[in-house]
Amino acid sequence: MKRNIWKVYHVSLLMVVLALAGCTKNFVEINTDPVNYGPTNFDPNFTFSTAQLTYTGSTDFAYETWRANLIYAGTMMQGMSTVVSYWAGDKYLLTPWYTSAYWERAYAEQVKPIVDIVEMTRGKDQYKNLHNAARIWKALIFARLTDLYGDVPYFEAGQGYYQKKLSARYDKQEEIYTDLLKEIEESIANLDEGADQITGDIVYSSDIAKWKRFGHSLMLRLAMRLTKVNEATAKAYVEKTIGKTLNSNAENALVKHEVSGARITQNRNSQVLLGDGGQEHYYVKWSDTFINALKATNDPRIRVAVTKLYLSPDETDANTNYVTDPASQKGMPNGKDLNNNPLYAINSDPSYTGFPDYSSPHPGMIKRDGVTFILTYAESELLLAEAAERWGIGGNAASHYANALKAGITFLAQYDEALSISESAAATYATANPLTGGIKQISEQYWIHQNTALNFYETWSNWRRTGYPELTAVNYPGNATGGQIPRRFPYPTAEEAGSNAVYYKQASEAVPGGDNLSGRVWWDKQ
Amino acid sequence: MIKNGFTQVHSWYGVHYRFIIRMKLTLIMIAFAFLSVATANVYSQQKVSLDVQRTKLSRVLKLIEESSDYYFVYSSTNKNLNKEISLNVSNERVVDVLPKLFRKTGLEYSISEEGLVIVSEQQDMHVKGTVVDRDQNLLAGATVRIKGSGIAKATDLNAQFELDVPAGTILVVSYTGYLSQELIIQKSGTLTVTLLPDDQMLNEVVVTALGVPRERRTLGYSVTQINGETLTQARENNVANALVGKVAGLDVTSTAGGVGSATSVVIRGASSLSQTNQPLYVINGVPMENTPIGFGNLNPNGNSGSQWDNAPDLGDAIGNLNPDDIENISVLKGAAASALYGSRAKAGVILITTKSGKGTGVDFSSNYVVEQVMDRTDWQYVYGQGVNGQKPADGPAAAQVGGSSWGAKLDGSNVPQFDGFSRPYVAQKDNIKNFYRSGHTWTNSLALNKSFEGGALRFSFSDLSNKSIMPNSGLDRQSFSLVGTFEPVKRLSIDTRTNYIIEKAKNRPMLSDGAGSANYNAVFLPTSLDIRDLKPWKTAEGNEIPYNTGNAWDTNPWYAAYEIQNNTDRNRLISSLSARYTFDNGLFLQGRAGQDYYNNSYTAIFPEGLAYSAPNNMVVQQTRFSDINADMLIGKSFSAGDEISFTPNIGASYRNTKSEMTINQGTDFLVPGVHTITGLANKAVGYVKTAQETQSAYGTLEFAYRDVLYLTGSARTDWFSTLATPGMENKLHVVYPSISGSFVFTEFVNSPALSFGKFRAGYAVVGQATNPYQTALTYRLLSQSLNGKPLGEITNTSIPNSQLKASKASELEIGTDLHFFGGRLNLDVTWYKKQSDDEITSVTTSNTVGYDGAILNSGSIQNKGVEALVSGVLIKREHFNWTSSLNMTFNENKVLSLADGVPEQLIATSRSGVGFLKNIPGKALGQIMAYDYKYDDNGDIVLLDDGSPDRGELRSYGSAYNKWFAGWNNEFTYNNFNLGFLIDGKFGGKLFSATDYYGYIKGLHQATLERREELGNTASKFYENTANNTSYRFVNDASFIKFRQLTLGYSFPAHLFDNKIKGLNLSFVARNLFILMRRTDNIDPESSYNATFPGLELGGMPPARTFGLNLNVKF
Repeated sequence: MKRNIWKVYHVSLLMVVLALAGCTKNFVEINTDPVNYGPTNFDPNFTFSTAQLTYTGSTDFAYETWRANLIYAGTMMQGMSTVVSYWAGDKYLLTPWYTSAYWERAYAEQVKPIVDIVEMTRGKDQYKNLHNAARIWKALIFARLTDLYGDVPYFEAGQGYYQKKLSARYDKQEEIYTDLLKEIEESIANLDEGADQITGDIVYSSDIAKWKRFGHSLMLRLAMRLTKVNEATAKAYVEKTIGKTLNSNAENALVKHEVSGARITQNRNSQVLLGDGGQEHYYVKWSDTFINALKATNDPRIRVAVTKLYLSPDETDANTNYVTDPASQKGMPNGKDLNNNPLYAINSDPSYTGFPDYSSPHPGMIKRDGVTFILTYAESELLLAEAAERWGIGGNAASHYANALKAGITFLAQYDEALSISESAAATYATANPLTGGIKQISEQYWIHQNTALNFYETWSNWRRTGYPELTAVNYPGNATGGQIPRRFPYPTAEEAGSNAVYYKQASEAVPGGDNLSGRVWWDKQ
Repeated sequence: MIKNGFTQVHSWYGVHYRFIIRMKLTLIMIAFAFLSVATANVYSQQKVSLDVQRTKLSRVLKLIEESSDYYFVYSSTNKNLNKEISLNVSNERVVDVLPKLFRKTGLEYSISEEGLVIVSEQQDMHVKGTVVDRDQNLLAGATVRIKGSGIAKATDLNAQFELDVPAGTILVVSYTGYLSQELIIQKSGTLTVTLLPDDQMLNEVVVTALGVPRERRTLGYSVTQINGETLTQARENNVANALVGKVAGLDVTSTAGGVGSATSVVIRGASSLSQTNQPLYVINGVPMENTPIGFGNLNPNGNSGSQWDNAPDLGDAIGNLNPDDIENISVLKGAAASALYGSRAKAGVILITTKSGKGTGVDFSSNYVVEQVMDRTDWQYVYGQGVNGQKPADGPAAAQVGGSSWGAKLDGSNVPQFDGFSRPYVAQKDNIKNFYRSGHTWTNSLALNKSFEGGALRFSFSDLSNKSIMPNSGLDRQSFSLVGTFEPVKRLSIDTRTNYIIEKAKNRPMLSDGAGSANYNAVFLPTSLDIRDLKPWKTAEGNEIPYNTGNAWDTNPWYAAYEIQNNTDRNRLISSLSARYTFDNGLFLQGRAGQDYYNNSYTAIFPEGLAYSAPNNMVVQQTRFSDINADMLIGKSFSAGDEISFTPNIGASYRNTKSEMTINQGTDFLVPGVHTITGLANKAVGYVKTAQETQSAYGTLEFAYRDVLYLTGSARTDWFSTLATPGMENKLHVVYPSISGSFVFTEFVNSPALSFGKFRAGYAVVGQATNPYQTALTYRLLSQSLNGKPLGEITNTSIPNSQLKASKASELEIGTDLHFFGGRLNLDVTWYKKQSDDEITSVTTSNTVGYDGAILNSGSIQNKGVEALVSGVLIKREHFNWTSSLNMTFNENKVLSLADGVPEQLIATSRSGVGFLKNIPGKALGQIMAYDYKYDDNGDIVLLDDGSPDRGELRSYGSAYNKWFAGWNNEFTYNNFNLGFLIDGKFGGKLFSATDYYGYIKGLHQATLERREELGNTASKFYENTANNTSYRFVNDASFIKFRQLTLGYSFPAHLFDNKIKGLNLSFVARNLFILMRRTDNIDPESSYNATFPGLELGGMPPARTFGLNLNVKF
């Protein structure tokens, strides 16, 4: 009997072992996600669309557009003004979780997909144009990141999967810029009209010629950024772009948004300015500095401003009888609040006659399905004007300037038909306001243009580089800069707590002027 | 000397009988002649020396007769006397030699006082018995062991056993939850053994791995068992909460998650760097998945413990169980105890046995308790709402800074508030009490038992109706349980259990952040605002009336409670079927299959009138989950003689877990006020499907030498689908061995004080598997597209790892069980050391690498500790008893190493952004990190221009895990009265209070009173800087002592009801009555907003005290 029992044992054991050994064969199949795609059956064009979209702002409620572009850059540059207590940039207050917002979302939503596309398509002929367009887009992404923070992770950034990086070294801005310019140049050269269609391209619908012009205009923007620190390189790269930059507003790089995808696809600036997240619709206005600058030259672009658009803080439905009359437009002073101290209280300001009387951005600019401008012909022409002014290269500064003025007026129609200004009106204005003031005038015009493009990131960078327009700083209690306009975002303190702690410390200690709102990035040499 | 009263003398002895009498007389005379000993029993002192090798027994007997005065009487035809034996004794008493001589000969003997030894063939008594409890309920599955051996048998479904044992055998009958009983078998026949309940919690029989009940003395590891009754007196809606303070080595913490929230149970310290530390729950042998919803399981609407969650705690699986159905809970603490669960055992195993049919009758219980909020805040009430030290000028200005208490001194004047009305500027200290309501829970349970020939049935129904202290929130739960145990043919037992649970949770509160959170907004309301003035909370059009227009995310708490909805409906079916057949020869074959299946429906509505813009206005999420576990086991006990027995078992198991989740969500209701998912302007769909499989084979070998030494060895191998990677040849299996032993040394020590003592030791390796799909990079498409272009993204948020291997933990435990004075005082002490290696961890990475984390496979943690249970009957009188037990635990854990390239591991970030939870090598798990002052070279504090402190280093301020735990349980009985209370405490852990942080930011904290006048309108910035730059001040000592439970009851005697009612007990019960000690200023020391890890809190539900009545009736 005992023998029988042992037989049963052995037979069962054998059966169990055999059964199990045979069954693990389908384990790979079981452990393959049945819903999603793998690297071999996924088209990277799909992620390219996302990377283009997220450059306009986070899919998570315009997260960094709100904090970096509007709350900080927009108000510091006195394009916008507000009394909303948490709009820290208007008062140069430090709100660390706002200044870190751009970094957090950019690496997660812009860098992650773009690095993946570049790596995934590398050396693959079927994705030749996608690969090179992605490299240009990658340069665009990193340029804004480094402009805002200075030395940032670049070469190792986004390489968690391909290089198994758990932390990313902070690279010197100088090295980043050198590589960005090289990348753009190489990518433009490799773009090939006969190669693949970039099916995911939401900006140029795979028009390779436009991509090349866009690439050159981007190269121009980046090269000009170096005028304070490396004029030779700046000039050398600008020369490479002569005659190859964007030709008209029709070539503007822009992303057209869509309503149906809610936060994911709607225009980022409009989500904030329409009051989705608070009372921004009522309390965020054009700055008086900006409106006064338009009024000073009877600029037809005063059309971007309307009054009586919102009549109460609680009502987010716009008043359809808003006032467009240029004479009624009035910007709101910066550095004001809703409290009692007459020094800062908005209602103690002589300009105050109630909030609806201050000018708001035209509703045509802040549509949920509106456009976000990435890079414009007007911007390109202004930079060429400056290059011509500085170095006498690339033609005539005045004509580039005039082109920029005209394009900078007529491009508003791309927002909405209601903002359209005729070519002739633009030409009249351009003729009446020729370039006489050199780099100062060009830079002021750059500021006006980027304000109207709602691209305050670019306004801020150019102001830091050129010093124009000359803005009068506000001095609000508790400000973090001693009453000076901030020049940089501090590094996110989360970097200290996370896996980049060591790199963060080194980089933080190396910031000229300190890792705060007053510190400076490399190209912003004092 | 063996005395026998029942030896039957067979008729063939009669032939020699007269001769014997004659011999006896002669012997007596000789004795008197040669020995001058006055006692009758002179022969007992006679000694002999023998040295025989392979000699016939009959010859040896002759030799003894020759060298002593003993005479042997036996039948010459008895063949057993021809057996050859070897024996070497020198100068030993004959009475001591005889047992050695007759051992294993099949013979027995009796010695008369005159030295006459009657040798006869050993005769087994045929005993048939029934084991019942005091109420005559049949106890099926009780263990009947032959004392002095490891041979045991279990009673069948009719609670019967049959045994053939030699006369004089002592049987030990034991059953889990009852005191063991010994009885001496003197004659064949039928008997009834009545076991008494184990009031002292000696737990002589406990349920062990694979659901096998075993006598505690045989175990080489520590197991604590809790009887179901202790869970149902003073109830907790989540039964796991009822374990707090009751088991040494267990750290039970309920989250501040409100109704239906999860409970954290950590056994012998956290043993995983970032995977779950929650134990495996096994219900009637079938494992149940218990990972809190939202943690690592792809549920976007659950609480993952992230600072950005802003999500309700959706509860855990254990919370669904009905405490009334639980017979007992057995906590397998160490690896040696849980080794047979292999890869699921790393965090310990909790075995739950549900009640099965016992006797025939009806049990009814009703429990009603009320819940009262306890306000833990201690804010400043000197300054009121406003900013810059000023009162608000008008309504809109007040609303713009509605969340701020940086106003002027409260002076009673009329001051405009957020709604434009002016009210007296006075302190409002009762906002918490005025917001939360008095809640209640009413539980009614009815159980029907029916025993019949060959089986038993139990049907129970329970209804729980809870009204939370949170307005408009509550929980309803109905549980149905049907248990059938049958013996359709002899020796085939079938056990089938079905448990169906319907749970509806209404409006689980949002935790952590302010958006939509009633808790957050109630606790941080400015000092001069009366929360009742925040009503009405909406306009006629349905729009929220916010009290803080400056931050739309500060939701009016009433609006949060009454307008935001999140409802969970869960239907859960836990069923199992097991069959066991025992062959004639004792070989058994057991098969078991079980499924845990649930359908979960989650609906959340964020109405269009909400002031802040919610990510979605409506979410409808359907989850289908199925976990199938099947196993088989085959085994048999063998014995070598009556002293050694060994039992090999082998088995295999199969697990298949599948889940499927569909999420429909979107924004903007097309028809305001009509909240349907199809009525949304922007819709999005999400779909998640997962599957995983584990296959296992295992074997155990139990060895027993008498009832003195027990050894158990086991091995299990698991094969995991979750480690498989396309294109890789990963090793998919791991072997988990174990060995443990128990030595009952009191069998050799004769001490009147020490009645039982054993020494035990165990060593085992267990493990932890991982979630599916962590080995490869995947992409997905969003539901949204842009102008016709699909939008794709990488699915992984963590860098996948294509070379995963399962993590392992090895644990050594050594302990002792000591019973003094017949069980009046008991001590159970265990020392353990556990090391987890090859940790599968999700390391938080800087997102500059593109991912928030990485799945890594290295790192080690060590837990060392001592746990002790002292229990005893301090007073035992006829009418009065006092039973008391004290359990204590000390656990020290340490992160030994992390993965290469990861000097420190960030686990979580406080919503404040200035407090962190990290793992740091060389330190205990879960270090609370915060910023210190900045010091200059002279050691002086560096200040900013405004005099506020500059930010210094990020330092660790201690572990979030407590080090010391104690629970003191007391039970008094006086006649029919009983009184019980439990006091418990935890010590040594730290807690980062974001409530205190926001107290600084919002000007509520008492510390912000200092220098407020002097600082004037920069005070708020000064304290904001102070809070952000020196956040160490928010690290609290989380130690506490709580008066946890009180019960006072009276049992009405049956005769009062003409015995129509068998028993009726009415008790007053209370939980969480007082805090006897705490070191936190504004929060409960047990606060936490998730069950995954402790240490961070914000916006949780305030604690509540409960008290009420409990009625138990038996018909």
